[in-house]
Amino acid sequence: MAAQVALRRQQAQEESEARDLRLLYPCTGIGGEAGIPQGSSISAGVPVSVSSSPAAACFDVFGSENQKDDKRFYRERKSFLCIDGSRMIPFEQVNDDYCDCEDGSDEPGTSACPRGRFYCTNLGFRPHYIPSSRVNDGICDCCDASDEYNSHARCQNTCWNLGQRERAYVEGQMRTLDEGLRLKQQLIEEGVLLWREKQAQLRELQQVAEDLQVKLEEHRRKKHEADRLKEQTLKALEAGDGGLIRHQNSSVASIFHLLDSNKDGSLTVDEIKAKVVLVHDEQRVLSEDEALALLDRGHRMDLSKFQSTLWDVLTRGDTVKIKDTQGAPGSLSSEDPHLKAADRAAEWEATNLKKVEEAYETVNMEISDLQKKLAIDYGTDWEFLFLNGQCYKLKVYEYTYTLCPFNQVTQKSTAGVEVSLGMWGMWTGKPKNHYSQMVYENGEPCWQGGSRSTTVTLTCGTETALRSVKEPSKCQYIMDFQTPVACQPVLKQQGIHSEL
Amino acid sequence: MAPLLVLGLALCLSGTWAVDKGNFKTCEQSAFCKRQRALKPGESPYRALLETMELTNTRLTLQLINDNNKVRLLLELYRLQGNITRVKINELKPLKPRYEVPDVLIREPTTEPLSVLSQDENGVVLSLGVESQRVIISARPFRLDIMEGSDVLMSLNSRGLLAFEHLRMRKDTFSYKVTSTVASTTKEEEEKVEDGMWEETFKSHTDSKPNGPSAVSLDFSLPGVEHVYGIPEHADTLRLKTTDNGDPYRLYNLDVFQYELYNPMALYGSVPVMVAHSAQRTTGIFWLNAAETWVDISSNTAGKTVFGKMLDYVQGSSETPQTDVRWISESGIIDIFIMLGPTPKDVFSQYASLTGTQSFPPLASLGYHQCRWNYNDQEDVKSVDAGFDEHDIPYDFIWLDIEHTDGKRYFTWDPHKFATPKEMLQGLMDKKRKMVAIVDPHIKVDGNYKIHNEIRSRGFYVKNKDGGDYEGWCWPGSASYPDFTRADMRAWWASMFAYDQYEGTMENLYTWNDMNEPSVFNGPEVTMHKDATHGAWEHRDIHNLYGLYVQMATAEGLIQRSGGVERPFVLTRAFFAGSQRLGAVWTGDNAAEWGHLKISIPMCLSMGLVGISFCGADIGGFFKSPSTELLVRWYQAGAYQPFYRAHAHVDTPRREPWLFGPENTALIREAVRQRYTLLPYWYQLFYRAHVTGEPVMRPLWVEYPQDLATFALEDEYLIGKTNLLVHPVVEEGARGVTAYLPGKDEVWFDVHTFQKHNGAQNLYIPVTMSSIPVFQRGGSIIPRKLRVRRSSTCMEHDPYTLYVALNLQRTADGELYIDDGHTFNYEKKEFIYRKLTFANKVLSSVNLAPDAKFTTDSWIERIIVLGASKPSKVTLKTADGQEKQLEFDFDASMSVLTVRKPGMNAGADWTMTFQ
Repeated sequence: MAAQVALRRQQAQEESEARDLRLLYPCTGIGGEAGIPQGSSISAGVPVSVSSSPAAACFDVFGSENQKDDKRFYRERKSFLCIDGSRMIPFEQVNDDYCDCEDGSDEPGTSACPRGRFYCTNLGFRPHYIPSSRVNDGICDCCDASDEYNSHARCQNTCWNLGQRERAYVEGQMRTLDEGLRLKQQLIEEGVLLWREKQAQLRELQQVAEDLQVKLEEHRRKKHEADRLKEQTLKALEAGDGGLIRHQNSSVASIFHLLDSNKDGSLTVDEIKAKVVLVHDEQRVLSEDEALALLDRGHRMDLSKFQSTLWDVLTRGDTVKIKDTQGAPGSLSSEDPHLKAADRAAEWEATNLKKVEEAYETVNMEISDLQKKLAIDYGTDWEFLFLNGQCYKLKVYEYTYTLCPFNQVTQKSTAGVEVSLGMWGMWTGKPKNHYSQMVYENGEPCWQGGSRSTTVTLTCGTETALRSVKEPSKCQYIMDFQTPVACQPVLKQQGIHSEL
Repeated sequence: MAPLLVLGLALCLSGTWAVDKGNFKTCEQSAFCKRQRALKPGESPYRALLETMELTNTRLTLQLINDNNKVRLLLELYRLQGNITRVKINELKPLKPRYEVPDVLIREPTTEPLSVLSQDENGVVLSLGVESQRVIISARPFRLDIMEGSDVLMSLNSRGLLAFEHLRMRKDTFSYKVTSTVASTTKEEEEKVEDGMWEETFKSHTDSKPNGPSAVSLDFSLPGVEHVYGIPEHADTLRLKTTDNGDPYRLYNLDVFQYELYNPMALYGSVPVMVAHSAQRTTGIFWLNAAETWVDISSNTAGKTVFGKMLDYVQGSSETPQTDVRWISESGIIDIFIMLGPTPKDVFSQYASLTGTQSFPPLASLGYHQCRWNYNDQEDVKSVDAGFDEHDIPYDFIWLDIEHTDGKRYFTWDPHKFATPKEMLQGLMDKKRKMVAIVDPHIKVDGNYKIHNEIRSRGFYVKNKDGGDYEGWCWPGSASYPDFTRADMRAWWASMFAYDQYEGTMENLYTWNDMNEPSVFNGPEVTMHKDATHGAWEHRDIHNLYGLYVQMATAEGLIQRSGGVERPFVLTRAFFAGSQRLGAVWTGDNAAEWGHLKISIPMCLSMGLVGISFCGADIGGFFKSPSTELLVRWYQAGAYQPFYRAHAHVDTPRREPWLFGPENTALIREAVRQRYTLLPYWYQLFYRAHVTGEPVMRPLWVEYPQDLATFALEDEYLIGKTNLLVHPVVEEGARGVTAYLPGKDEVWFDVHTFQKHNGAQNLYIPVTMSSIPVFQRGGSIIPRKLRVRRSSTCMEHDPYTLYVALNLQRTADGELYIDDGHTFNYEKKEFIYRKLTFANKVLSSVNLAPDAKFTTDSWIERIIVLGASKPSKVTLKTADGQEKQLEFDFDASMSVLTVRKPGMNAGADWTMTFQ
């Protein structure tokens, strides 16, 4: 709304200025009598002859800006003081195609002075200065053709068309700006909401983390309890001999059967080698000799012999043991049902603890991610927050560029090779407009040293999109990124002012 | 650009910036050079058979015999118009013809009568017709002395190093041994077979040498000479050094990656011309041979201190200073032109009479050129163009390097980045600006590429030793090389520049020939195999000519596309004697280092001495990134060198003039503006160079031939006939420079402050970052155009300011040349050429070419007289007899008189009286 008001104010000012200008130029253009280098006084190749020029009937001097400030310098009189005060010259020498004043002020309408300026009136369009060196150089610079009054160039007055186009363009720009600002307001509102949402999310996560921490402690305690119980059971088993003997026979028989792979009632060297290993080196297969020693130097061993010899060795458990095989009891005590129960309970608690630990870790990671994200500068109103998590693509010739704001920039060739052009660095806009430029650094290293980097300039538009990508020097990329949040109400007024 | 592939990568990764010398041969590694250099002086086996002498009016022939192997040579001697003696030596009966360089001489030289003065069994004395000049041919051993009066000007084979390896049948080692033992009486006929005679291997490349040894060499003695110059291209001092303790200077066109300064290694181009100078006389030797060539220089005074020389003088030491030179070439014949001066300018015109003069470039090409590898696309071109306008810096040409093509297929445009080239060219034309696009001679081997298919189907490619199309590796990958030595190939190539053939081109597009040594990334020494063939000849025979032919065909294409109306502009990297006729040359892939800025002066001076005036170095340095100070200093120095182009490697950061802050932008702008104000003078000097062959940029000794203090100066030089002396700042952090101002009776005016200095002094000039020390000689008149505009073309009709610098006699003279700036119409006498003279308080403009016709819009807007006294009145009298009094301004403190707006047309007759 404010923007439209500003625009209307601006337009009104323009119109009044234009009226002023028309008043100021009663003898317009070069066809009239204004100024000195006119008609017969300048013809091709002949320098201006001052004496033959008509007396300046108008109070303006060709090529100068006829505004309040300048007028006083070029008043019709006998002599002219260079604006820098360096020199006094006869008035006929103003605009006579010879540079007398160091500051070029005596030749506002010709190319004679190296540092001079020529004023293009450009009625219907915007007036502006050009360097004097562009007067009569054969190139049409002023849209009113006033700079080429004595050249081979055939210039046409294009000011009206340009003005039309300019006005249309400015109007378009204004619409874009208004729309952009409207969208920006939305995005700001959304940004604030999103910010709050994220903050809430953070708090929520922090709450979850706290809850999980409580749970975690409980589970740690439970696990500890279960482990302790298991330990006790195991100790009781090992300590209580009677109980063990009760189980011993069946155990002797069951172990014998376990070892007797072919179930022929006697153990062989091969069977021993398959099932018995050294306590200290479980991986190594026993040698023929070692197996024979366990069989008491006999090639076969029946249950009774087993019970009186090898069984003792195995129960001692300090040299050899039965290999841990699937389904096979790892130790003698694992056969015990009490122990089995305690073991299962301990395992259950360990699993539970692990799950809670993982959940806790995940939540903490999420918290840290979110905090990191929220630590980035998203503008005064969090208006750039919505860009985080988005990616924008643009194909330029054989490459597809992807900008993921606040994250990274990449380039992918048609061959499919992806190269990093930089990771989020910082805002680098000028202090006046800090959020107009961002830099992504430390991309893929370059052939000549250094690494790729990308500078992204944000411009105002109604859509959020990547508009252009350039690589002016090797490994230095420049992106034009358009988004409503880059629209600036302040700039809007400045923009119009300088363009019209 | 240099090959960056494997070689480049390896160098850069190791962080080294110097050339990898191991990629290029030393004399020791070049079999023929090693063989020839091993010969000892004083043992010449050659004898002149005086009885075989035949003398027609203009031609003397004589047989020479090698007493070791009985092989006979035929010597021809001619007296050529303009004080030149030509000596040709070939085998009397070679097994097959030996290569004689075509297309370098502009015509068969005009001969003059020779006569025998006396003759006996020891020798013959011939008269050369002028100034008691004689040639003495001594028979045993053969020796040739050129005398003037009692002075020996030059001697040939005085050290007995003439060697001519005759063509022979290949014998395998076994049969050779048999022959030599059986027929021991004929042993002198047999040459020792050495390694490298029939095959030579360098790194991984083998040269099959089907013709065996074929080298030629000859020594020259130059009595009284201590200073020799020329034989470019080397990154070395202007004054050539003696080579006793190192390699000879090498002439073999090579693409040298990151060349090193101050050594005799070969570079991109070769002009086998040496200029010898002493206070008494200037002479020149033109060794017309296009094969690999080495030049040895020794001196009997080298190493002597100034004191030692003085002692010699005081004691009346008998030994006169003498320089001995020796040329060695791998094949071809001995064909030498001895240019006898006696003045430097005589040598220039003598050489010009043989190989032609500098082409007359379009005026715009003397402006500033903006180049970079690469401007990426049309938008990039547009924005750089706009940048020049925004910062008010003039320029005439913007350049496109290899990336503008469709996959390094020359004569095409990248379909995306340069989709509408005519639109781009029109945009430039609207601003009166132009463009150069690169066209290299390596052609991508690609069945879908029209240029390749045409060349292949016409059989125009250079052939490998087995008869197939030669293929090498270059920018496009696998590439073949058109045989530019063929006239039909060149005609076809030229036709490819027609607007309907080379699509997307317009008349403001010009051409750049790079890589035309030719550069072959995977070839021996990064160039073509010597046993590749060009019809009947081996690449060995023609190598140094290849680049000249590429530029010749390209320039012809640009002429033809305009129906013969427009002057071409073609820049080349490789060159040979005669390349001056075809366009501009630059010093190749230099680096952003102070040393490279400094050496650009002697490198271009050396080229100028041998005819190539249109020379420049990449402003800023090609490799690496210059400091801001270096860049500014380079812009300042370049503004006063003939070819003014900024260029940069693709891997360097951007360096358009406005990227270094407003202060530096202003410094660069000022340097470029100084260049543009002087364009009328540069243009007129190029016209002079085109007419006379005199260098545009010249060492001081050329104009002060008796002033010993000038003989080795290479940090300052003259532009044109004495008129401007330039001593650019080429040292980092310089606070001042010391310029030698020559001429005992001369005065010099600082062109910026108009302060007057006496000649014959070393003047210390304090400098700031804006200083470009330049002096105008009292006695000269220089025209300038002070209204610097966007491009030179925009300044076409602008008025002139004449800078009249008075000498102690209060006189001055100068010239003013004007034409349309771009067509050949000057050949039809459409130009203005005037002599400007100031004498007896009268300044006048007189027509130097009354039969020429041209009209100009330009007028004289101002006359600045330096060293003037205050007149009471200044009166202009025009051709119609009318007189008018002129206003003027006199600055008594600097004695500068400024005449305000005299207003006469630049083409008119007038006189101006200062009373």
